Amino acid sequence: MSEILPAVRLDGVRKAFRSRGKPRSLYRTLTAWLGRGADADATLLALDGLHFTVAPGERVGVIGDNGAGKTTLLRTIAGLYRPSAGQVEVRGEIALVTGLGIGMLDELSVEDNIYLYGAINGMSREELAERIDEIVEWAELARFRTARLKTLSTGMRSRLAFSAVRHVDAEVYLMDEVLSAGDRNFKVKCEAVFAAFKGNGRTFVVTSHDMEFVKKFCDKALWLRNGRQMAYGEPAQVIEQYTAQRG
Amino acid sequence: MRASRRRKYWNLLREITVAQYRSKDQHTFFGFAWGFLHPLLLLGVLYFFFRNWAGQSIEHYGLYLLIALVHFTHFSNSTGASMMVLYHSRALTCNTVLPKEVLVIGTVLSKTPEFAISMAICVAIAGFTGVWSGWTLLLLPLIVVLQVLLVLWVSLLLSAAYVFVKDIEHVYQVFLRLLFLVTPTFYSPDFLGDTLARYVVVLNPLAQLIGYTRAVILRDAPVPVVLIGLLLIANAALIVAALAFFKRLEPLFAENV
Repeated sequence: MSEILPAVRLDGVRKAFRSRGKPRSLYRTLTAWLGRGADADATLLALDGLHFTVAPGERVGVIGDNGAGKTTLLRTIAGLYRPSAGQVEVRGEIALVTGLGIGMLDELSVEDNIYLYGAINGMSREELAERIDEIVEWAELARFRTARLKTLSTGMRSRLAFSAVRHVDAEVYLMDEVLSAGDRNFKVKCEAVFAAFKGNGRTFVVTSHDMEFVKKFCDKALWLRNGRQMAYGEPAQVIEQYTAQRG
Repeated sequence: MRASRRRKYWNLLREITVAQYRSKDQHTFFGFAWGFLHPLLLLGVLYFFFRNWAGQSIEHYGLYLLIALVHFTHFSNSTGASMMVLYHSRALTCNTVLPKEVLVIGTVLSKTPEFAISMAICVAIAGFTGVWSGWTLLLLPLIVVLQVLLVLWVSLLLSAAYVFVKDIEHVYQVFLRLLFLVTPTFYSPDFLGDTLARYVVVLNPLAQLIGYTRAVILRDAPVPVVLIGLLLIANAALIVAALAFFKRLEPLFAENV
């Protein structure tokens, strides 16, 4: 019997950043290269020895306080950050959603932004043309189809972005706190979408502060603290450990 | 699968290009027209100051100046905007898995219609003012393509380097001023005599392109087609090299931008 390869595998992954985080000047670049810069070795450890696998079709919720390394983890899995040590393996096409509406432009219309945002997230114009009516309907923005994006509220933009991103076709979805945007109505609609995602065979790694969502939607939970993997396993148990630690 | 990826890549490039083109100069009163007003204003100033000096022995000096300014403005605006696109669009650079060169290529392409229209305006002015233009004008699109290729590889190199070293912005501003001086915009190359500056001008690719455009629009003079072909190949090779450099650095963009 052939072994099923994991969709995502992290093996001893560490990620360190330059702690000052300032833009590099020519002087700082040269001194860093020469190894005698004031901050040549000053680093901040954002991920520290992560080791876990996600099976194809599995849904993992990443929990932890702000600054725990959740977004860094998603960016590292997506290949946007190169691990300082260890290995990251991903099988399949990735869809990364960190912040709804990234890339949308205020000066363009709602419709133009759907095509732009869809393309940024890997959708073809044909796919979007077929679904554009449904996208604006779901977002409750049919009346604003030709309006400029800048006339929409933040909540409306989030609805529009999520409505478009629901149609992205990928094997591995990496989502960063998408439920934190918008009002109660938006959250309910999003949860319905996630419920529909269940059992579609796609792999999800989702960060969230909403423990109920993680319990309902995820097969596993990963708790991060200061970049360290505190627990990985059944959501209810991991959440219990996390909340107990918080007091 | 591969064909589908390629289709999505081209779709993404088209959407980024169109979005950048449409959202450009939206906040200004003259909007899109600034692309033409900028070289025209510069033309007015240079014509006023140099007409009786450097321009004395040059026929159709106004048009001679305009052609160079259209080339130079396109080069400086396109490379300047592309250099900073990864930084200005850092939300995209840091949070999306799209191939980042698309942002640079999209910026370059979004500035191309303006350049092509400005060139067409130069040709129209040549026609209206009785400057004789002939069949050599058919080579003009090739020169436009050459300029876009030149801008593209320069932009790929600059944008990747700018992520790591922000000082490049200031160094590049100085470079552009120097480039303006070593490009025969308001003077003729003959004006330099047999000095070292003359050889600098010969090695300046922008000066070459301006020379070709002037030849086909102002003099109906034949341009070395073989040389243009070689330049096309050389620029295409430089794009491949610049793209390889860009892709090599791409995994480091998100954490350094």
